[in-house]
Amino acid sequence: MKLSAVQTDAMQELGNIGAAHAATTLSQMVGSTVQMSVPGIKAIDIADLGKYMGEESAAMVVFELQGEIPHGGFVIFYITRESAIRLTNTMLGFTEMNRPMNEMDESALLEVGNIMVSAFLDATAELLGFVMLPSPPAMTIDMVHAAMSSLIAGLGEDTDEVLLFSTELTCEEHKIDSDIIMMPEAKTLAHIIGLLENMMKPA
Amino acid sequence: MIGIGEYRIGSFPMMTIGLGSCIGLTLYDDTVKVGAMVHIMLPDSAGRTDRPGKYADTAIDLLLKELAKLGCKNRSLVAKMAGGASMFEYFGANLNIGERNAVNVRKCLKENNIKLAAEDVGGKVGRSVTFTPSNHGKITVRRADGTTCEL
Repeated sequence: MKLSAVQTDAMQELGNIGAAHAATTLSQMVGSTVQMSVPGIKAIDIADLGKYMGEESAAMVVFELQGEIPHGGFVIFYITRESAIRLTNTMLGFTEMNRPMNEMDESALLEVGNIMVSAFLDATAELLGFVMLPSPPAMTIDMVHAAMSSLIAGLGEDTDEVLLFSTELTCEEHKIDSDIIMMPEAKTLAHIIGLLENMMKPA
Repeated sequence: MIGIGEYRIGSFPMMTIGLGSCIGLTLYDDTVKVGAMVHIMLPDSAGRTDRPGKYADTAIDLLLKELAKLGCKNRSLVAKMAGGASMFEYFGANLNIGERNAVNVRKCLKENNIKLAAEDVGGKVGRSVTFTPSNHGKITVRRADGTTCEL
């Protein structure tokens, strides 16, 4: 699906509002300022996914969008492995960086992702007047390409291109880099854009 | 590097990275010394023809046709596969795509009387695969947990 300039702006604004709420929760959890990038939109042909992400290891907390459209796409809290350890160290009071991730890290990350994505979805739902119910979260710490391609496989047989709406959230004090990524399935995206366009019509 | 739904045929080294539920399938003929590799994403094309490499059934048909043009016989071809993991447990839409991919690859190979010599499939781990036709079709699987194995 090709987005017009107006649709791109509207989606960026939606991502901006969602990410701002997610950033606030992250800021509260680490007790420090969190900066937010301008939301970016990438259209990626599935054959080229490997040009954008590879074998690097990252933690991803993933929610499937459910509700009116059953398999509506995914919202992903993405954090590099190093940042994930810094984040859980900050939360759990550890300092050691060169350590394997354990169950405590995993449950802390799952909780952080849960809180942030819930904030993202609450804010966007309020704006759109449309509730995207999230599934329970699932998490992996693995090759980014392996995780993302598995999610894309779940978008349906006809998906040859995906649109990723991502906003980078960084905390300079703790050197934490993370992203909130929305990857809507085509029908969900069309629905969201329809709602946004309706809102922009003069009353 | 072979992207999702893409394939290569030849005697040069080939590679796919970051296989999750996807499958990296290789076919090799040691008499003709030629091999093929494809990055399969889904088990069944259900009649779709635009990206044959993306689906197990159309990918295998396509590779066999192309390899036959180079003189490969089905009975001398040897298949190997890796991938088919379940990266996220218990996700409605994602449920068992990896496993269904592996099942359908095995079925399509069997229908064409192709021997499946080795596989490293399943689990919850991402994999990268290098395929070296010049070394008798050896494949090396590198898993996200740092372990490697040769098939």
